[in-house]
Amino acid sequence: MKINNLDALRKSMADSLKVDCEVYRGIDGDQTLRIPSAELKRVVSFLVDQMDCRHLSTITAQQRVEDPDQIEVIYHFWHGISFSIMTMVSEELPRLPEIVSILPGADFYEREVAEMFGIEFVGREETPPLLLPDDWDQGPPFIRNEDHRE
Amino acid sequence: MNKISIPIGPQHPLLKEPLSMQIDISGEKVLGGSLRLGYVHRGIERLAEQRTYVQNVHLIERICGICSHIHTTTFCHAVERLLEIDVPQRAYYIRAMMCELERVHSHLLWLGIIAKHVGLDTIFMHTWHDRELALDIMEELSGGRVSHATNQIGGVRFDLTDHQEAMIRTTITDLSLRVNNLLDVIKNEPALQARTRGVAKVSPEMIHQYCVVGPVARASGVDVDFRRDDPLPPYDQLDFNVITHNDGDAWARTVIRAEEARESLILCERILNEMPDGPVHVRAPRRVPEGEVVIRSEAPRGELFYYLRSDGSDKPARLKIRTPTLAALSLLPKQLSSIQVADIPVVMAGIDLCIACADR
Amino acid sequence: MFKELLRKTYQWAQKKSLWVIHFNTGGCNGCDIEILDLLTPRYDIERLGIVAEASPRHADVLLCTGPVSRQAKTGLWQIYSQMPSPKWVVAVGSCSCTGGVFKGSDTILGGIEKILPVDVFIPGCPCRPEAIINGLLKLQERISVNEDK
Repeated sequence: MKINNLDALRKSMADSLKVDCEVYRGIDGDQTLRIPSAELKRVVSFLVDQMDCRHLSTITAQQRVEDPDQIEVIYHFWHGISFSIMTMVSEELPRLPEIVSILPGADFYEREVAEMFGIEFVGREETPPLLLPDDWDQGPPFIRNEDHRE
Repeated sequence: MNKISIPIGPQHPLLKEPLSMQIDISGEKVLGGSLRLGYVHRGIERLAEQRTYVQNVHLIERICGICSHIHTTTFCHAVERLLEIDVPQRAYYIRAMMCELERVHSHLLWLGIIAKHVGLDTIFMHTWHDRELALDIMEELSGGRVSHATNQIGGVRFDLTDHQEAMIRTTITDLSLRVNNLLDVIKNEPALQARTRGVAKVSPEMIHQYCVVGPVARASGVDVDFRRDDPLPPYDQLDFNVITHNDGDAWARTVIRAEEARESLILCERILNEMPDGPVHVRAPRRVPEGEVVIRSEAPRGELFYYLRSDGSDKPARLKIRTPTLAALSLLPKQLSSIQVADIPVVMAGIDLCIACADR
Repeated sequence: MFKELLRKTYQWAQKKSLWVIHFNTGGCNGCDIEILDLLTPRYDIERLGIVAEASPRHADVLLCTGPVSRQAKTGLWQIYSQMPSPKWVVAVGSCSCTGGVFKGSDTILGGIEKILPVDVFIPGCPCRPEAIINGLLKLQERISVNEDK
């Protein structure tokens, strides 16, 4: 089933999954649905099993300066159109359900987000470091409490 | 038989770039493997937040030496989308021509490497010698063989003179003859076929599960090419063939890249013929308005993904890059569990590793 | 006098047949591709007696590229210590000279000379094959001038 229309997708997710999601129109070239983080696994299962949407481009995480207590995690998909699933976790207790059991290709992306932002993916055995050196001792490099730019 | 673990890397004649692998074998059979990346991690995404957009074009070109141009092209497209400026069409065509030449030189480079791993050093010497012709064109236009500094925000840095256009046409004709000859040779070369046919088959189901992209996916029959599916200008106005094969083995991955190189040279000629006149650059403001953008393009190894967020200043707030090799590397441990020890070089070369891209 | 003749012959033989090993400590690959280009017919470094080796134990010269990432630091030191004396180190590219465009990153050390003693620096981003050949010829001159290391 092709996804042509984000509003239709949102409606079918609300009807079959009873997941309430809002549309975020901030990203140019992409259509984004914002969902609660607890529903992530159900939504990705729905996309993979019901909509046959299996191409995950990557997982982006970022911490906005205007909202430093939250970490925004965006799952970018491609299915004829570019669309994303966006969710938020708190910086104090950053936990998200894993989706490696549904999409094995998400493994490297989850590991990178885990080591760069300190996010714990619940349900995985372990997230060994992917890119940072073995002797890295400074904590997640992207987490900052003040603006670090010169 | 007992299981033995062999470490490969970070320095190994098999590897051009540092990568550490543990391969478990029992006799001649490979049981599986794991890999450790991070030897080439330079923290590009963090460095990009500390530099202005103009400085970042210089930095991003050096993520990878082989596919430097497509990185800057995608980045410049992202910034130009946020700036909402109209880049001249001629600049887009020059960018596309350099992209295709880069695809040709990358595939020829890779063909030489796989021939070398199989033991056919002559093919390695011939392909790398022919590859120099593509580098000659890029040097004639930009002054650089590997890093060209072609792109700037708002267009490209140079225009084509008539003399250069004539030189490009002659060189492309010469190179096309050589690539066609190469294709004939590898299709009739029994040693290469014996080493690669039937080795490490990847099914379309595995491609979808591991979200693999590029020639590896097309060699297993998955028809995806972001030049056609999500085109950046001028690819929406250009006509070209997307090549797929159904076998999914190392042989399909070899021959698909040679055929793509041939197709790219035909596309280069078409780009030259259809290139409109006009300026090649438009002035771009230093500060980029607030916004977020997602751009996908087709690098020689597959889908290149950029997410850029701007906060209104002259430095990016967040730049996220996903390179195609990272997706292919997640498939590697699975591919290793079905082969013999002697096939390890062929499988590793078949993915066309670019660890510098994967690690960033 | 015989000893002097022997020493001069040894030095001449050594500089005319340098065996190099190449290691990338975290660079972008540009300089590495240009080093591999030296083996190909257009530049053909074998006519100068220089052969690319696979094992550090057979090599005289370590050709290094890359800004020395923290993860590759141990590997670099291990390769250098496995090479038999006399040995020389050539830093190829701006990254291995000073860290290059990646200077300031928290995962790289910046420059080979932070770890190893470097004999020849070849700047360039990436350096052209002609520049690398020039650097290796300068290394040959240096070998004939200096005593055994």
